[in-house]
Amino acid sequence: MVSSLNKEAYKLVHQKITWFAPLFVLILMIIMGILMNGSEQKLLIMTSYDSSEWILFALVVVSSTIFTLEFQDNTILTMLYKSDNKLQVYGSKLILVFIYNIVLHILAIIFTIVLQLTPLNVHLSWLMINQYQQTLLSNLLMTILVDIVSSTLIISIIFFTSCIVNLNAIVITLNLMIVFLGQSASSSLMIANLKYIDIIKWNPLNMINLTKQYYNYGSYHIVSHLSNSQLLIGNIFYSLLFFSLGYVIFKKKKF
Amino acid sequence: MLSVKDVTTFIQGKKIIHDISLDIKPGEIVGLIGPNGTGKTTFMKTVLGLTKFTGSISIDKQRITENNHQALKKVGALIEHPAIYPFLTGRQNLLLYSESNKDLEEIISTLKMENFIDKKSKNYSLGMKQKLGIGIALLNNPELVILDEPMNGLDIESTIMIRDVIRKYANQGCMFLISSHILGELQKVMTQVVLLRSGKVILNRSMDLLNQDSSKKYYVQVDKKNLIENLLSRNNIDYQWVDNCLEIDSQDVKLMQDLIFQNGFYLNRLEPEKLNLEEKVIRILSDKEGSNNEE
Ligand SMILES: Nc1ncnc2c1ncn2[C@@H]1O[C@H](COP(=O)(O)OP(=O)(O)O)[C@@H](O)[C@H]1O
Ligand SMILES: [Mg+2]
Repeated sequence: MVSSLNKEAYKLVHQKITWFAPLFVLILMIIMGILMNGSEQKLLIMTSYDSSEWILFALVVVSSTIFTLEFQDNTILTMLYKSDNKLQVYGSKLILVFIYNIVLHILAIIFTIVLQLTPLNVHLSWLMINQYQQTLLSNLLMTILVDIVSSTLIISIIFFTSCIVNLNAIVITLNLMIVFLGQSASSSLMIANLKYIDIIKWNPLNMINLTKQYYNYGSYHIVSHLSNSQLLIGNIFYSLLFFSLGYVIFKKKKF
Repeated sequence: MLSVKDVTTFIQGKKIIHDISLDIKPGEIVGLIGPNGTGKTTFMKTVLGLTKFTGSISIDKQRITENNHQALKKVGALIEHPAIYPFLTGRQNLLLYSESNKDLEEIISTLKMENFIDKKSKNYSLGMKQKLGIGIALLNNPELVILDEPMNGLDIESTIMIRDVIRKYANQGCMFLISSHILGELQKVMTQVVLLRSGKVILNRSMDLLNQDSSKKYYVQVDKKNLIENLLSRNNIDYQWVDNCLEIDSQDVKLMQDLIFQNGFYLNRLEPEKLNLEEKVIRILSDKEGSNNEE
C-alpha cells in the first residue's frame, strides 16, 4: 500500500496541473480580493477569499485526471498486475486525492493570512468576534474544515463518474456541471415538488450547499431546508456511498 | 516454472480462451502465435490475474488468481501498447517501478535508450515507446516476462537487438511468453511454438522437434535414368521427375537405396525436401486434421 501510494504521489508531483492548480486558486483569490475591496471584509476572510469555489474547480480537473490518465495509455494494466488487488489501486488514488485536497485547503489558509497583510484588505483583528460567537480566525478555520468535508463529496462523485466514463474531458465537464449547477438544479427540484420536499431535500446535490450555508446561514438554509449538521451528515454519508459505488464499478470493470 | 492448466476465460459471457494448458520452464521462450482476435492478449491478461477464469495458473507452485497477485511479484509484462505516462521522461517511467538503480541503468544501455531516455515520453516515436515498454517489463530481474506483440513498430535493427536481449535474459533463466500474429517473426528466438486459433491451442511443439526432419519427399539424382525407372516400376515405388531429379516418398527411400545398390547402380545425390517453418507447421496441422478425420 505504501509503495502504491508512493507511485501515485510520484505521478502527481510530476504533472504540471498539480502545481498550476494552487496558483490558479491564488490568482482567483486575489481577483476576488480586488473586486470586493472595501466591502464584506469579514466574509471575505471567513471564506478565504471565496477559495472553496476555486479549490473545487482545481480538484475536479486534478482528480478526474488521476483516474482517466490510467485508462488512456493502458497504464492501468501495469498498475493492476503489479498491485495485490484492485482495492489497493483504488484506495491509494483516493488517499492521495484526499491529501491533495487538504494541502489545497492549507494553502488557502496561508494565502488568506498573507493576503490579509496586503493593501487588498482593511486590516482586521483575527480575534474579533464574528459569526457563531467565534473569532474571525476560528470562523476561517471552521469554514475550511467544513469545506474539506464538502469537497470530499465532490471527489467521491468524481471517482464514481471516472469509473463509469473513461474520458477525461467528459468526466471534467460532467463534474463541473455538478459543482456549479448542481445546487440550483436541486433547489429547482425542491421548489417544483414542494409536497415531497422532506424527501427530496436529502438528495446528494443539496448537500453541496454545506460550505455556503456555513458562512451564510440566512440565505442558504431557506434553499437547502436542512440544518448545518444535517448537511454535514449527508455529506459524509454520500461521500462513503459514492466512493463505495465507484469501487464496485472499478472492481467489476474489464481491462 | 509457469504452469497453466485447463484455463478457460469468459469475457462478457463469451468464451474467449478454451481450456488452455501449457508449461514454461526457466530459460524457455514460448511464442504464442495466432491471427488477430484469436485471444493472445486475453490469455496474457489472464496469466497476469486481470480476468476471471477457471482452471489454474501458478508460478513455482504459487497460485495466481484475479485477487491474489503475490506470485506476480517477479513478472514483467507489456500488454498491447506500452504502458507509459506521457508527462514523465522515459527514465521516470522506469523509476516508477524500478527497485534497483544498477538494474535500471543496465536496461537503459542494453536497450540502447541513452539518447532519448531523459526526454518527455509523449514525444517518443512508436519504436522508442515500444523499447521503453519492453524495458519496463524487464525491470527487477523478472522470472517471467510476458510480451504482447513486442516487435510492433520496431525497425529491423531494433528487432534484432530485442531478440538478442530476450536471448540474454533467457540464458540467465528468465521465462518468456511472447505473442505475434506472424509465425516467422519469432522463429529465430522462440524455443517453443504454441499456435492459437479461436482461443484454442492447435499446436504446441518445441522448435527442436520442429527443426527435426519432417520431410515427406526426397530428391534423388541418378545416372542411368531408364534403368532405374524400370527398377522402381517393377517394385511398385511411386516416383516422378522434377528438374532431372527423382522425387519419391520418404517411406520408400530405404527400399530404393537397397535396390539401387543391389543392382550395382550409384546414387549421385539424395536429399530431403527443404521446408520453411510455415510449411512445416501447415503440414503438421493438415496431418493432424487428416488423422482426426480418420478416427
Ligand atoms: N473487453 C472485451 N470485451 C469484449 N470482447 C473482447 C474484449 N477483449 C477481447 N475481446 C474479444 O476477445 C477476442 C480475443 O481478443 P484478443 O485477446 O485481443 O485477441 P488477439 O490479442 O489475439 O488479437 C476477440 O474476438 C475480441 O473481440
Ligand atoms: Mg492482441
